[in-house]
Amino acid sequence: MDNPQGIRGVVFDIKRGVAKDGPGLRTSVFLKGCPLRCRWCHNPESQEFEPERAVTTGELCGMETTVETVMEEVRRDKVFYAASGGGLTITGGEPLAQPAFTTALAAAALAEGIGVAIDTSGFAPWSVFEAVLAAADAVARTEQDSPHAADGTVRSKLLFLYDLKCMDGARHKVLTGVDNARILDNLRRLDAAGARIWIRCPVVPGLNDSDTDLAAIRAFVAQLRHVERIDWLPYHPLGVEKYAKFGKPVPPGLP
Amino acid sequence: MATDESNYPARMARLTARKIEQTKAKLAALGTRDEDDYGLVLPPASFKVELPARDATGQWSGPRAWAANFRWLMENHPCYIDPDDAIAGRWMFMLSRMRLGYQLSRSNFAFDYSHLEPEQKKYDITPGIGKDAHFAPDYQIGLDLGWGGLLAKVRASRRTIAAKPVFTNDNRSQVSNGTNVNIEPKIAGSSSVLTQGRAQSAALADSAYALELLDSEEQAILGVQTWIRHLAAAADDRAMSEDDPARRANLEETARTCYAIVDAPPRTFREAVQWIAVFNMASRTYNRDGAGGQLDELLRPYYERDKAAGLLTDEDAEFLVFCLLLNDPHYYQIGGPDADGRDQTSPLSYLILEAAGKLKASCNLTIRVWDGMDRRLFRRGVEILLANRQGCPRFSGDKALVEGFMRSGYSAELARRRIAVGCNWMSLPGLEYTLNDVVKINVAKVFEVAFAETERPEDLEKNYVRHFRAAVDVTARGIDFHLAHQYLNEPELMLNLLSHGPIEKGMDVSHGGATYYNMAIDGAGLAVVADSFGAIEERVVKEKALSFAALKAAVAANFEGEEGARIRALVQGAGRYGAGGTAADRWAVRLTEILRAEVAGRTTPNGFKLIPGWFSWADTIRFGKAVGATPNGRLAGEPISHGANPLPGFRKDGALTAMAAAIASVQPGYGNTAPWQLEVDIGLANDPDAAEKVMALIEGHFALGGTLVNINVVDAKKILEAHRDPSKHPDLVVRVTGFTAYFNSLSPAFRQLVVDRLIREAV
Ligand code: SF4
Repeated sequence: MDNPQGIRGVVFDIKRGVAKDGPGLRTSVFLKGCPLRCRWCHNPESQEFEPERAVTTGELCGMETTVETVMEEVRRDKVFYAASGGGLTITGGEPLAQPAFTTALAAAALAEGIGVAIDTSGFAPWSVFEAVLAAADAVARTEQDSPHAADGTVRSKLLFLYDLKCMDGARHKVLTGVDNARILDNLRRLDAAGARIWIRCPVVPGLNDSDTDLAAIRAFVAQLRHVERIDWLPYHPLGVEKYAKFGKPVPPGLP
Repeated sequence: MATDESNYPARMARLTARKIEQTKAKLAALGTRDEDDYGLVLPPASFKVELPARDATGQWSGPRAWAANFRWLMENHPCYIDPDDAIAGRWMFMLSRMRLGYQLSRSNFAFDYSHLEPEQKKYDITPGIGKDAHFAPDYQIGLDLGWGGLLAKVRASRRTIAAKPVFTNDNRSQVSNGTNVNIEPKIAGSSSVLTQGRAQSAALADSAYALELLDSEEQAILGVQTWIRHLAAAADDRAMSEDDPARRANLEETARTCYAIVDAPPRTFREAVQWIAVFNMASRTYNRDGAGGQLDELLRPYYERDKAAGLLTDEDAEFLVFCLLLNDPHYYQIGGPDADGRDQTSPLSYLILEAAGKLKASCNLTIRVWDGMDRRLFRRGVEILLANRQGCPRFSGDKALVEGFMRSGYSAELARRRIAVGCNWMSLPGLEYTLNDVVKINVAKVFEVAFAETERPEDLEKNYVRHFRAAVDVTARGIDFHLAHQYLNEPELMLNLLSHGPIEKGMDVSHGGATYYNMAIDGAGLAVVADSFGAIEERVVKEKALSFAALKAAVAANFEGEEGARIRALVQGAGRYGAGGTAADRWAVRLTEILRAEVAGRTTPNGFKLIPGWFSWADTIRFGKAVGATPNGRLAGEPISHGANPLPGFRKDGALTAMAAAIASVQPGYGNTAPWQLEVDIGLANDPDAAEKVMALIEGHFALGGTLVNINVVDAKKILEAHRDPSKHPDLVVRVTGFTAYFNSLSPAFRQLVVDRLIREAV
C-alpha cells in the first residue's frame, strides 16, 4: 500500500451531522456489502457488495471511491467534532468486510485527530480487528514525535460499536444467516486488547426480545472489562419498503 | 409586594389559556397573518376609532397630526385588566396601519418617489421608504426619568430651542398642520410635489420643526400618562367587584403601581416591569415597534434592591417577568458581555429564562453566546428549547457580530453593546438609526434580469454584478429619500423619547437626531441564485449536458413540455448550496463577496453608511411571485429561499452540520446577520446528551463565523397534524423567522413552507 489515501472502497451514503451512533456529532460513512442477512436489516441495499440500482426508481446505490475523497467530506465538520466530542462513524453494511479501505480510512481520520467509531457486526476475521488496532497504534507512534502527543490518546479516539444480536448460536444463524461463535470470540479478544467498546443490541419483538435472550447478553457483557455502555435499539419498520425498492423479498417473522 | 406565590402556577395556566382564546378570536376577526403575534388583543366590538387628524383621503403626516391621533388613541384606549395578571393593559391598535391603503410591504409615504420606482420594480426592491421603528430604544433613559421626567426634558429642550433665533417659513403649515394636511396624495410623475418637498425639507430642518416636534412629543407623553391613569382607575374599579381576596389584592397592587408611574420613575421591580410594559404597548400602538433591550441588566438594580429589602422573592420576580413576556413578545437579550467585556449573566438572567420557559406562548428571547459566558445559562436555554419545542430561546454569536461591527468602523465597546433586539437584527440601544429588516433586494429578481440578457454563460457573473450594483444604487437613493423626508411623514414620537439626541436636538431620529446611522440592506433569495449559478456551472459549462441556449429556452417556458421536464430534472440534480463542496456552495460564497463589496464598500449618495445582510424576513412567498422560473429548476412564482438557508432537500440526509457550515460561510461580515433558520425534529428526546449536542452544533456554527441561530426543535408529527387541521393544536408555537407565532395563525401557504423546511433526522 504505497498510497493508503488512494485505496478504493464502495460507499453507498455519507451522512453529516448525525447525532446518534456514537458520542457527539458525527459523520457516518456507509460501506456497501455485508456477510450477514439479519431479518430486521434496515438497509437491505447495503448487503450486496457491488453497486446496485433500485428496481423502482433506478437510482444507483453504491459508488467506488477513495479514502481521500471520503476524507474531504469528513473534514468539513471538524469544528463540530471538536465542540461535541464526535467524529467519524464507519458503518454499513459491514465495514470490516472492506478491511483495507476501513483500516486506511480509520487511520487517516485518527491521523488528523478525528475520533473514529467502527460500527460492526463483529463477523470478520480477527486479523482485520488486529489490523485496525495496529493502524491506530501506528498513528500513535508517528504522533509521539510531536510534542502534543499524549500517551494513549489515539487508542482512546477509536471506538467499536459492536452488535450483539442473540447469544444462542443456532437461533443466531436462523436470524442472521451466520453463527455467532466468531463474533463472540472477536469481542472477547477485542476486550482483552483493551479497545473501547459500546455494545449495541437490536431488540426485535418476537425474534430476540425474550427475558432469557436479554439476560444472556447481559451476562456475557458482564464478563468483559472495556465495555462502556450497552444500547438497546428498538425495532422500527423503516427498512421494509426498501426491500421492494431493491427487488428483495421481505424477510419472514417481522413484527 | 403582595405575594401570592402558591398561586403562581395556576395564574400562569389561566393567563396562558386566555391568551389562546384571544388568539382564536384574533384569527376569526383578522384571518391568518404571516407575522408576529405582537401581543395585540382585539378592542371591544363597540369601540369606534375616530382619529381627529385625518384628511379627506384618510391620510395624515407630520408630527402634529401623528401626536393628535396618538393622543386620541391613548386617551380613549380601552383598559384591559386581567385579575390574574400582574401587569395592567394590552394594546389593541396600530396607528401606523390606520392610514388608508396601508400595505405591509409598502408604507404610506407623503412624498413622491416615482422617479425611483421603475428600477425598484425591475429588481423587486423593498425600499423601506416610509418604514418606521426597526432600531432600538434605550429603556434606561425612561426608567431613569419616568414619564414626568421625560416631559420635563422635552419642555426644557423646547425652551432652549425657542430662546434661539427662529427661522420661520410659512410652508411648514402645509406639511404639518395636523387636521388639515396639505400634502397631496402621491401622484405618479408629479414633479411639483417633489420640488415642493425639497424646499420644505430645507426650510423645516430648523428650529420651527424642532418646536413642532417637541410640542408633539409633549402631546404623546400626555396621552400615555392619561392612559396609565385610566389603567390604574380600571384596576381599582375591578378590585371593588372582585370577591377573591388574592385577586383583589393583586388588582389593588396593580392600581397602586400604575398610579406610581404616571409621573415618577419606577422605584420597585414591579413598577419597572409595568413601566416597560406601558412603553412597549404605547410604542406598539404608535407604530408596531418591537425592539426590546438587555432585560436582565435593565431590571437588575430593582431586583437586587427589592430582594435585599425583603419586598420581592424569586418567585415574585419570575411571575412578573412571565407577565411582561406574555404582555408582548418584544425582543430581549440576556447574557453576553457588557461594554467592558465582562459577562452580564446574573441570577435575574436565569429567572427571565425560566419565566420564558414557563410561557407557553410566542416569545422572543435571545441568549448571547460568547467565550466568557456562563455556560450554565447557555445549557439551560438549550434544555428549555428541547423540552418546550416552542422555538425559544434563540442564540446570537458574539464573536462574529463584534468583529463585524468593528469592521464597520466601531469600537469593541460599542460592538458589544449592539444587542439582539429584532427579528434578524442587532442595534445599539438609543444610539443608532438603521431601517433594519425593512430594506430588501430580491437577488433572485436581479439574477433573472441578468440571466435574460446573457448569451454566454461566461458573461453571467459580470452581468449579475452590474445589475446588482444598479439595484444597490437605487436602494441607496431610496434610503436617502427616506432619510430626507421621513421626519415629515412619520416622526418617531415614541422611540425619540428613549433615544440619545432627538429630544436634546429637536430633531427626529430619522433626520439627524440619532448618534449613528447604519442603514441595513438585506439580500433575499441567496440559495435560488447560488443553485442557479451552480447548476449552470455543473451541467452547462463542465459536463456540457445542456446548452446555455436550451436552458434559457426551458427557463423562459417555465420548464413546460417533455423537454422542459427533462432539463428541469437535470438542473435539479446538480449539487446544491448547503451540500458542502459543490459549485453552488462556491457560488453562495461568491454572491456574498459581491454583496459585501457592493453594499459595505460604499455609502449612499448622501454619505450614509450601508451594512449588508442576508435575510428575507417572512416574505419569501411575496418575493417568489415576482420572479419567473430560475435555472435551479424553481418554477415561476414559487417562493424564493429563506434568508441564508439552503433550499429544502439540499442534502439527502438534511445534515445539520452541513447547513451550519454553509450558512457560516455566507456571513455578510459587518455586524448584521445572515441567520440560520433551523426547524428540526432531532429525534433525541431520549438522548441524555441531547443538550450537549445541540450546544455543540450552535457553538460550531458560531466558531465558523455564524451570527444568529433561530432554531425550532419541533415534534414533526405534531406539526404535520396541525398543518392538516390547525384547530387540533391551537397552542402550537413555532419560530417563523426571528419571531415566533402560533402555527394556526399562519396562512396555509406559509405553514407549508415551515413544513417543507423541517429536517427530520433519521431515527
Ligand atoms: S449486519 Fe447490519 S447491515 Fe448486515 S444484514 Fe445485519 S443489519 Fe443489515
